[in-house]
Amino acid sequence: MPVISPSAFASPDPRAANDLAALVPAALREKVRRLERANSIQRSGKAAAVPVGIPAIDVLLPEGGLLTGALHEIEAGPGPSGRVAPHDGAALGFTAHLLGRFGPGTILWCRRPTGRFDAAPYAPALSAWFDPARLLMVTAQRDEDLFWAMEEGLRCPGIAAVLGETRAADPTAGRRLSLAAEKNGVPALLLRAQPAPPQSVCATRWRVASAASASMPGLTDVGAARWRLELRRNRFGTPSAAETPSWLLEWNDETHCLAVVPQALHGSPSARFQERLVG
Amino acid sequence: MRLADARALLPDLVTEAGEPQADCRLIETIAGWCDRYTPWVAIDPLGGALAEDIETACSAGGFGGDAGLLLDVTGCTHLFGEGESGERALLADLVMRLARRDLSCRAAMADTAGAAWALARFAERQADLHCPARGQRDALASLPVEGLRLDPPTMETFLKLGLRRIGDLYPMPRAPLVRRFGELPLNRLDQALGALAEPIEPRRIPPAFRTRLAFAEPIGRAEDIAAATSRLLAALCHQFEQAGVGARRLEIALYRVDGSVDRTSIGTSRPNRDNPKLMKLFEERLDELDPGFGVELMILSAPEVEAWSGTQDALPDQESPGIASGVDGTIDLADRLALRLGAGNVVRLLTRDSHLPERVQIAAPVSSKPAATGAWRRAADLKGARPTRLLQRPEPVEVTAFVPDDPPSVFRWRRHAHRIVRADGPERIANEWWRPRSDGTHPPAGILPPVRDYYRVEDDDGGRFWLFRDGPYQLAANGQPTARWFLHGFCA
Repeated sequence: MPVISPSAFASPDPRAANDLAALVPAALREKVRRLERANSIQRSGKAAAVPVGIPAIDVLLPEGGLLTGALHEIEAGPGPSGRVAPHDGAALGFTAHLLGRFGPGTILWCRRPTGRFDAAPYAPALSAWFDPARLLMVTAQRDEDLFWAMEEGLRCPGIAAVLGETRAADPTAGRRLSLAAEKNGVPALLLRAQPAPPQSVCATRWRVASAASASMPGLTDVGAARWRLELRRNRFGTPSAAETPSWLLEWNDETHCLAVVPQALHGSPSARFQERLVG
Repeated sequence: MRLADARALLPDLVTEAGEPQADCRLIETIAGWCDRYTPWVAIDPLGGALAEDIETACSAGGFGGDAGLLLDVTGCTHLFGEGESGERALLADLVMRLARRDLSCRAAMADTAGAAWALARFAERQADLHCPARGQRDALASLPVEGLRLDPPTMETFLKLGLRRIGDLYPMPRAPLVRRFGELPLNRLDQALGALAEPIEPRRIPPAFRTRLAFAEPIGRAEDIAAATSRLLAALCHQFEQAGVGARRLEIALYRVDGSVDRTSIGTSRPNRDNPKLMKLFEERLDELDPGFGVELMILSAPEVEAWSGTQDALPDQESPGIASGVDGTIDLADRLALRLGAGNVVRLLTRDSHLPERVQIAAPVSSKPAATGAWRRAADLKGARPTRLLQRPEPVEVTAFVPDDPPSVFRWRRHAHRIVRADGPERIANEWWRPRSDGTHPPAGILPPVRDYYRVEDDDGGRFWLFRDGPYQLAANGQPTARWFLHGFCA
């Protein structure tokens, strides 16, 4: 492995020496980072990545899936009407799906209660994705405590994944979490109920919004849950043709299977609603 | 003597109102301070002013101060010197240290609590305050009978009969005494002489495992306290190993030079005697301790210990591969988190066999046994679709429904109207009739318990909610059917 020392790029100009990042080509920096990553993964002796389970998405991700030693952010996005839903049910569902992919081991779930209208995760529904007996639930009253608990969890060898539910977007905390995740090969996930400005150094950022489900023809029952998923940031992955790749996913509650809805079955929810009214 | 009589004798008498509660607090503080000599400290229940029931207050309570402390120093005096000289040194040390704080006291030491009690109050010479081993019979003989801790009426009768000294009772035949005065006087005498056991009930249960470290010079720096804690911990962990136990709770007490005591404790969710791990837990807490002007003594004790199951930890637990095994360090992680965030904030989820959605999931301490693998899945499979988030308490919503028994067409929650496009339901969940109501009474027979009709609905924006109607529609005063609707959760 070639050793690249920072001094190799040092220039006689003292001002430019401070601005190392500008001097080194982006591609080279990326290469160094990949080498470092491969090294740290090798040391931890864990799988480098865990597939999401949907081929269309895994193709775009580095190592064919979600990196285990990295920070991933999931945020709730606006629905078809452009309004952010008052709850993050869809984002939580997708997060639970991701948590179910990591394992075995304890899942550390850190959350900050949101006061009077607090809605805690409900284990009977989560059992569709993973066994809630694996959960260690942590409630923190302050964001500092929440990030501290997450970092402590990332350092613990028996933890399969760490999830933090917060509205705070703290770039320093994100950086620390990312480093701790990389060092220990444990994935860190951040779930936000609101879209947040992209600040932290996460490996992937997902935006999930609930989408209208498909009823049986002629009926008005609630069909299988559908989510509009956007991959808004993909740090080490393959660039996609679209700027932000987006999929319509369907979660089948009976077969416990998450799949992309074929394009032919798409249709705007309003059109479908009209159709139903007419029919 | 009454205050008016006293004022008549001495007009410029200075008076202060009595403060029994402040006295009690002071005695508590001194008792806590006395832990430096022995863990077995009790506040004398017969002290005159401090006795809860004035009837039980002893006639001698008023002699030489009302309050008393009983210290069982068995096995503690060797720290001050060998044999009798150590005992005398301990007494002198106790009196000297209290005198330095302007507290006058008389301390006596004897084989029995009763003898020490009498000596402390009625001994005439300083040398008599320390009673040699098995010497209480001679030492008590010349003391007044008040030294026997008797109630005032018995006392008066004794004096009338001319029984003034404790020694006067020695030759008396026992049977007539018991017939005349009951068993109490002779029991007291036997207790004082050591013929009858008199257990002392300690103020705090003395821990079985305890180490102490006294400093020649008071220490105050945080690093010094940490280093001392580490040394104490090493000694205590050695004790644990010998006894085959592990600590569930550890307490460290700092005895400051000004006589006050600062304590803090750590808890673990399973028996632990791993020195570095316990030290790590203590490091979180040591900042909270205030050394004040300096610490002269530190005591580390383990109030709660449990049998050590260390050998079993190495085997993976087949039944519950989750947190229970603890080999992977999750238990230690949980301890560390609980120490900073509070034990109630680090929990695992257990399932409960119930129909009511809010009762199914309970938060349990990490030390509890986790739900069996697949128990959650089995419980969930028996029920209808459940939300991924459940509101702590259902929130009332305003609804519009075309037909009373149909799901609503619009519901309004937090000032926003959600037009419902799809709905599933109802799933009827009745209150569990076998459980008492919130006020503790059972519903009378024949009356159906209230039911909830749950609907899973989807609004035109794709959001999925879990609503319920509380009870059936009823006719309101204006003849309109009404029902109360609530939002209970959010679906994926």
